[in-house]
Amino acid sequence: MTAKKSEAAAEEDKIIDTKRKSGSVKSQKQKPAAKEAKSVEKEVKSLKEEDLLLESGTDSEYDGDGDSLSLNSDDFDSDFYDSEDDGSQRETENGDEVHGHDGSDGNVDDDDESEQVDSENGEEDGSEEGFEQDEAVEESDSSEDEVAPRNTIGDVPIKWYDDEKHIGYDITGKKITKKEKQDKLDSFLATMDDSKNWRKIYDDYNDEEVELTKEESKLIRRMLKGEAPHADFDPYAPYVDWFDWKKESIHPLSGAPEPKRRFIPSKWEAKKVVKYVRAIRNGTIKFDKPEEEPNYYLLWGDDSASDLRGKNLNFVPPPKVKLPGHEESYNPSPEFIPTAEEKAAYELMYEEDRPKFIPKMYTSLRSIPAYENALKESFERCLDLYLCPRVRKKRINIDPESLKPKLPSRKDLRPYPNSCYLEYRGHTGPVTSLSTERSGQWIASGSMDKSVRIWEVETGRCLKVWEFDEVVTCVAWNPLSDFSILAVAMGRDLVLLNTELGTDEEQKKIEDLLNVKDLPELVPSVAKIVTWRQDEKHGGVKITHFKTITYIDWHSKGDYLSTVMASGETRGVVVHQLTKRDTQKLPLKIRGLPVRTLFHPTQRGIFLIATKKNIRVYDLRKREGPIKKLETGLREISSMAIHPGGDNLIVGSKEGKMCWFDLDLSSRPYKTLKNHPKDITNVAFHRSYPLFASCSEDSTAYVFHGKVFNDMNENPLIVPLEILRGHSSSKGQGVLDCKFHPRQPWLFTAGADSIIKLYCH
Amino acid sequence: MDVEGEDASKVVHVKFVTKLDSPFKVPVTSVVIPSNLTRLGLSSIVNSLLTLENPEPFDFLIDGELIRMSLEEFLQAKGISAERTLEIEYIRAVAPRREEKPSLHDDWVSAVDGSSHRLILTGCYDGLGRVWSSAGYCTHILEGHSGAISSVALVNTEDAGSVTVATASKDRSLRLFKVDTDEPVDSTTKVGAYKILRGHKAAVQSVAAQKYGSMVCSSSWDCTINLWNTDQSTSEGDSVSTKKRKGNNQAAESQTEAEAESTFVGHTQCVSSVVWPEHDVIYSASWDHSVRRWDVDTGKETLNLYSGKALNTLDVGGEGSALVAAGGSDPVLRVWDPRKPGTSAPVFQFSSHASWISACKWHKSSWYHLLSASYDGKIMLWDLRTAWPLSIIDTHKDKVLSADWWKGDSVVSGGADSNLRISSGISIS
Repeated sequence: MTAKKSEAAAEEDKIIDTKRKSGSVKSQKQKPAAKEAKSVEKEVKSLKEEDLLLESGTDSEYDGDGDSLSLNSDDFDSDFYDSEDDGSQRETENGDEVHGHDGSDGNVDDDDESEQVDSENGEEDGSEEGFEQDEAVEESDSSEDEVAPRNTIGDVPIKWYDDEKHIGYDITGKKITKKEKQDKLDSFLATMDDSKNWRKIYDDYNDEEVELTKEESKLIRRMLKGEAPHADFDPYAPYVDWFDWKKESIHPLSGAPEPKRRFIPSKWEAKKVVKYVRAIRNGTIKFDKPEEEPNYYLLWGDDSASDLRGKNLNFVPPPKVKLPGHEESYNPSPEFIPTAEEKAAYELMYEEDRPKFIPKMYTSLRSIPAYENALKESFERCLDLYLCPRVRKKRINIDPESLKPKLPSRKDLRPYPNSCYLEYRGHTGPVTSLSTERSGQWIASGSMDKSVRIWEVETGRCLKVWEFDEVVTCVAWNPLSDFSILAVAMGRDLVLLNTELGTDEEQKKIEDLLNVKDLPELVPSVAKIVTWRQDEKHGGVKITHFKTITYIDWHSKGDYLSTVMASGETRGVVVHQLTKRDTQKLPLKIRGLPVRTLFHPTQRGIFLIATKKNIRVYDLRKREGPIKKLETGLREISSMAIHPGGDNLIVGSKEGKMCWFDLDLSSRPYKTLKNHPKDITNVAFHRSYPLFASCSEDSTAYVFHGKVFNDMNENPLIVPLEILRGHSSSKGQGVLDCKFHPRQPWLFTAGADSIIKLYCH
Repeated sequence: MDVEGEDASKVVHVKFVTKLDSPFKVPVTSVVIPSNLTRLGLSSIVNSLLTLENPEPFDFLIDGELIRMSLEEFLQAKGISAERTLEIEYIRAVAPRREEKPSLHDDWVSAVDGSSHRLILTGCYDGLGRVWSSAGYCTHILEGHSGAISSVALVNTEDAGSVTVATASKDRSLRLFKVDTDEPVDSTTKVGAYKILRGHKAAVQSVAAQKYGSMVCSSSWDCTINLWNTDQSTSEGDSVSTKKRKGNNQAAESQTEAEAESTFVGHTQCVSSVVWPEHDVIYSASWDHSVRRWDVDTGKETLNLYSGKALNTLDVGGEGSALVAAGGSDPVLRVWDPRKPGTSAPVFQFSSHASWISACKWHKSSWYHLLSASYDGKIMLWDLRTAWPLSIIDTHKDKVLSADWWKGDSVVSGGADSNLRISSGISIS
């Protein structure tokens, strides 16, 4: 018994040993496998990288291949793990089996009676077995890893701890102390007392006793017998013929379920891949080098190499050479060869006009001389290359028509003056100034021939002539229709003439007004500048100024008249009042020489003074500095005119530019029109039609459409309409004045050729 | 006429027909003529057929249209087949055959009236009206105006012994004169006005007399049209002031001043021309680019034609005396038909002039003929059946300011060369 027991114990020991070993083996085996897997992985990776480097950007297919390769290798790695795991599991199972077998063996050996009982119980066990089996299966399913060993010392000989008080360390690092050893006697007694003692095994690694379960011992017993360890395994299972013979199918197909191997990555393939990977790594497999693209190109290739143009920004296409023709043959047909006369004619031509190549006839190729211009041409070629512009000018392909602003058609802007039908002839000198009567029946003109004439617009007849002693610089008709006074400026005198064109009552009124028997008393400072006198000769009033008058302008009410003199400071502009027979200086200082003045047509007291560079807007009631200053940007202002609406101003300059100001908008020009090549002499607005005009020393007058919208948001529409030609230049002077007819879209122009022209629509 | 020598492919068979009387009638036979002939060639053919002593110019009509190009071109343009025998009607060419000697004035002749067969009336810029019995014979001088005369009109031409003359002047007044036409014409008589019509506030531009009545209407720069009574004895007694005036060889004559019977307001600018073609209808043309028709009884305007140009002159006549011809500040003479509903576009436009049109007059008896005078110094005679002028009278040296028909076969015209010119011998059938 004892011997048997000791044997059993020894066997038990062995089993435990193997069990432990198996565990260690498992762990040992696992590590290198993992290492290997890792190294393989690395290899594959490096391979992949190499491949990528080699094949980068060449084609996308290769990338895909790389991917698949890596996938395979991954699979293959996991395969390694799986296979190893399987092996270890099998081993542990074996260990268990051995263990169980051993136990059962012991049981058999231990107790015959009990064996009997056992065998009797065997059937019971069989029934129970199924149940327990189920449990075991369940256990193994639920938790595959058993309770971890208490001891964590690892796979070291336990005898190292024989002399210690502990057998190792638990998972927290504490020492596991050895249990006190029982006496042999006590243990023997205990074993004898305990009926289940035969199933107990001492585990000295963990220093505990393990009790085998019943079915473990049965398992061990079956294994000892050489049977299949599982009780329910049927080694003689009935044969299942998956092939359907009965139907006599012509296809050798089986109805067998899909085998597992179909779902597992091929181990052979993986091995093959590994083999290739290693071979590549070792350098036994070599790839072809990628083909290098040639990096040269045809320097003087033809234009069709469009890809060159795309790559090189500065690509300059070489000049095209004419293809050689028959005349360039060494032996051309005789009709190509110039005659002696033609050759002589070539000699007379300029070198540039001469044909570059003169055909000559040679009897054979051998007799052709060397090209005489070879050296010269190569030199010129070098010069060409040397002087070739390095920066290519970018040519903008824009249709110039599209850059023009969209303007309405001239036809839609009718009526406007366009053709001259009437001329007013009679003056013998250049006509310097024009003025239209309010009703449009008459015009007045002043001329260098020292006369002022009144013309009937309709027929062109001169109604009245006044002869003076000085050159008339400016005439201005009183803007009131029933107050036909004409203001004439000549030299230093301003004469107010009675034109005698009104009705009798009007005449009386005018005569009363122009009869200044009692001379007005002027303020002393003004009296220095101006003196009023009765002009007996012409039946008007003569106001003599201290300097030459350059311009006169009526206020729209017809009572005030401003005169501009060629003098600076405060004395440049004076305002006369007819009814009071008074003259006033402006209560403001003017910077620079005044050129033109304007009474604002709608706002009371607003007065515009143009000096050579700028225009200042004053409020005469406030006696202050300018309320607005318009910066024209012009070199020298020559004229200005205001829109009857009062918000827009045009300014003409001596450099031929015309500025349009929107007084509400800004102090800078809304538009500057550069049209005349010479000085602009006058600009004018039409009273009712949306027209304005400029006339110039270049003997032309320009007519523009200038529509001002009531809507503040809309900018004025300016359209050039017509260039009115017809005047001839005289002593460098062209058209000296232009005025619109007050009611018709007609323009009067006064020319230096002593003619006044009327342009009608 | 040698026809055989011409290219046979370019000939047409024609038949000349006419409504003219015996000396100008050709036998109605078909003749073959070359197709490249113009009016001149056709005229010479007809002349050769007629064998007249003095060659007579003719004008030719095919289907009521005057030929103004070569026959071939005309046929092509009108799409008339040259296969059949063409019927060409010929009329005597409308062109002056005689030019009378000019009658010199002291100043520009601004107005001419030829509505009476016995006399020609002219107005001048020296403020005098003149009555001429024929070229160079001035019978009466109508004096009194202080400004240039702008228009003259004969009132009541039916009276046997004397005619009433209305003159409009730029001195804002009109004057009425009585001219005794039966007096011998050995010397020039000075006549003073029997009535002064004041009321316009600006120069009077035009005067027109009522047809078969005693009223005159006048238009002025003050944008109004005034109607005046011309009766010598004013029932209302509106003689404001009477002046005694001694004429050279005429007894003192009382002068009456009168005011306007009624005023038509509507034009916005100078009314440059008025005509009074029917008893109660007045047409007016103005610088405000419109032609208006006024009802005399109510004073309302019944028609407003927009022309687009400032108008200087106007006349009504033509077919049914209903066509309105007007000219103005451009070289185009326009003819409107106000009977056409819904349109103000001119039915005819004649644009051969080179400058403003100063006068246009319909022929009194013909439906087709009218004349126009222009500042380019030319008078053109027009036929509605062709777009080209029938003839151009360019005897004036300067602007032609006025023109009129006289006696049905003459054109009288006055211009800035201070001459009254008479072109006679115009045969209008």
